[in-house]
Amino acid sequence: MYELKAVDKKFPGVHALKAVDFQVRRGEIVGLVGENGAGKSTLMKVIYGAYQPDGGTITIDGRTVRFQNPRQAMEKGIGMVFQEQSLIPNLTVMENIFLGYEAQFVRLGRINWKTMAAAARAQLAKVKLDIDPGMVTSKLSFAQRQLVELAKVLTLEERVDGDLVILLDEPTSVLAEEEVKLLFQIVRDLTSRASFIFVSHRMDEVMELSDRIYVMKDGAVVDVVGRGTSSVEDIQKKMVGRNVDKDYYREPRQKPYDAARELVRLDGVGLPGRIRDITLSLHAGEVLCLVGTEGSGREAILRTIFGMLTPITGTVTIKGQAVRAFAPQAAVALGVGYVPRERKVEGIVAGMNVFENMTLSQLGRYSTGGVLRVGAERALARDWIGKLAIKAHSETADCGNLSGGNQQKVVLAKWRSGGSDIMLLDHPTRGLDIGAKEDVYDMIRDMCDDGVGVVLVADTLEEAIGLSHTILVVKDGQIRKSFDCRPGAKPALFDLLHYMI
Amino acid sequence: MDLHRLKPHFPWITLVALIAGVGLYDPGFLKPENLLALFGDIVPLFIMALGLTFAIYIGGIDLSAQSMANLITVVATVTLASLGFGAALLCVLVGVLLGALSGYITTRLFVPSFISTLAVGGVCISMSQWLSGNRGLNMDAEQRNAIFGWMIGKTGIIPNELFIAAALLLICVFIERRTTLGRALKAVGAGEMAAATSGLNVARTKILAFAISGGLAAVAGFLFSIKLSGGAPAIANGFLLPAIVAVLVGGTPLTGGVGGVINTAIGTMIVAVIRASMLYLGIEATQQQMVFGLVLIVAIALTIDRTKLRTVK
Repeated sequence: MYELKAVDKKFPGVHALKAVDFQVRRGEIVGLVGENGAGKSTLMKVIYGAYQPDGGTITIDGRTVRFQNPRQAMEKGIGMVFQEQSLIPNLTVMENIFLGYEAQFVRLGRINWKTMAAAARAQLAKVKLDIDPGMVTSKLSFAQRQLVELAKVLTLEERVDGDLVILLDEPTSVLAEEEVKLLFQIVRDLTSRASFIFVSHRMDEVMELSDRIYVMKDGAVVDVVGRGTSSVEDIQKKMVGRNVDKDYYREPRQKPYDAARELVRLDGVGLPGRIRDITLSLHAGEVLCLVGTEGSGREAILRTIFGMLTPITGTVTIKGQAVRAFAPQAAVALGVGYVPRERKVEGIVAGMNVFENMTLSQLGRYSTGGVLRVGAERALARDWIGKLAIKAHSETADCGNLSGGNQQKVVLAKWRSGGSDIMLLDHPTRGLDIGAKEDVYDMIRDMCDDGVGVVLVADTLEEAIGLSHTILVVKDGQIRKSFDCRPGAKPALFDLLHYMI
Repeated sequence: MDLHRLKPHFPWITLVALIAGVGLYDPGFLKPENLLALFGDIVPLFIMALGLTFAIYIGGIDLSAQSMANLITVVATVTLASLGFGAALLCVLVGVLLGALSGYITTRLFVPSFISTLAVGGVCISMSQWLSGNRGLNMDAEQRNAIFGWMIGKTGIIPNELFIAAALLLICVFIERRTTLGRALKAVGAGEMAAATSGLNVARTKILAFAISGGLAAVAGFLFSIKLSGGAPAIANGFLLPAIVAVLVGGTPLTGGVGGVINTAIGTMIVAVIRASMLYLGIEATQQQMVFGLVLIVAIALTIDRTKLRTVK
């Protein structure tokens, strides 16, 4: 009844959806899986009307539709249960459920709270949630809020003729096991009223709940598997299965690291929240890769080493010195450099030029008594523009106007020119084209040759395996497994996935 | 030539156009003596705007500047007799310390600068009322002339205040363009997150910006009290709005990161010419703040960088 035919979507530099065919039948639960960047979220946004496709058609019961925004999609019965919850915490449950649709309860300009509460109770009954609709939303547990969110989407049933399609985006990522079971039971019961599209990283859950599973890779649907016709491993192979060229990640350039020179050591480090008992050791010339799903705690570990987060337990030792004052200034002084994931916000200062960005972390070295030596700064920038082949008209070019790859080179030059020998790289190749990615891989090998230790959070698992000497799998804030990644003896993707999910 | 590339040149084009406009109306306006007197007259306001530039350049605001100047007129008048030249030093010190206090409240206690400086401004007003007994005080004219008379005299046709303004402007340009502090201020204004992940001490930079703002507001207040030979808790009222206008029409937007003290010099001259033109147009002194309020709104709406703001509250 709901069908996408040859839907295409392009963004500048990225072909996000390539002729995707997608179909949901009445009362069906359809799974959608794929790696980060495979195109799942773009597809979902097209389905619920946040994006308009560049090509192809969307039909409901054979009739072609086109949505300008999510509200229009909702009017056709398509609802979205968001991963990051869209409920407003300081409103009551019923206010949230009918947010934007209060008009039906208004008499003489005043909301009749009693009828709204009764209507809200009816919606909550659909998801078997027995709570007072007048309760403030922030008092609910996370699982309850998830169900309220679902109840809110189910109000479409009364508002819309025709069938409902409800998207569930990672609904289980923060639920406990019993809560997941309960949610699944409710979803199954609701198939009499609606169809579901279920997106999750947890393969076993997708297998358990879905009637059919769409597997996406690189913006295309690579396979559709029916219930019980495929194993978890088979699906995972389809998700990631591409030939990885060893040279692509510069594997022949990977040399053994210097195990005698320890640069960073974390002992039983715990942070407020879920991160606990992190123990790791980084050596000169080593690429240590943290692998895990979104929100597993990889970024927090990097930020702890950089001094932006202060641990509540354990010790951090940098080059033999126990860190007491956790501040980026202290880490930078010890030779730590950080290449953050949000390059445009945290990596470079847009509005400042290339040389100003490069010396930002080392102003002391380019000044005398607080007065800058601009000539020396510019010479440094010219030197590194040449070394890294940065495409900028000169050292006075505004960094905000450079391409992503060149911005990343400026960030790397900032730290390398200052002699940082502990580099923390968070998704250093995110959003870069292939050529720029290969440049970054080369730079990582160059750094290792110079005795730099690198802690890497990679963009994909292949990248992690290809680049690293050691892989640590992080799950739910803990290190679950360590892999040795010597060239020729690298672990397979499926070994890692097993510990990640 | 597209508008985007023209934008940085708007302030001086506006200034030239305004001067030419008023000059057409009354050619006498263009006489060097007249222009020099006009700009000499606005020097205390300029110094305050100069300080405010630092607060606005990092993306903050200093609403305490006017109250600070008020307080300093009282402090200067009260202490001149006993301290002599030391009174000037004391005044600047008070300004720097109170400015640093605003900065401390903003960065360590996470109170937005518009409210922390408003609160510190309230403290300043109350202190000035308490110190003065809530009335106007006069300096001993002879002593003032002996120690600080050079500040308000004339050299040839040039008012000495303009030399003070030029000296302070040069120092500020030097800080802004040639020192690590200036670079840090720019980084914090243009990209605070990236400045933090580069290991800059963002909090210290901000505190220094507010300290400079407070210090220069104190200099403005001190010069004003020398000029008027006295002090009172409300004597500098009416400074704040035109000073903020001077910074913003000069081309330093509320979102920070671009513009700077040279821009503020141009902005202050624009304010001076607008003020003079109001005399020609017969707008009374009591109506001037209305005009500056409107100019302020237009200036903010035109200069603010909307890509940096997600929501406005």
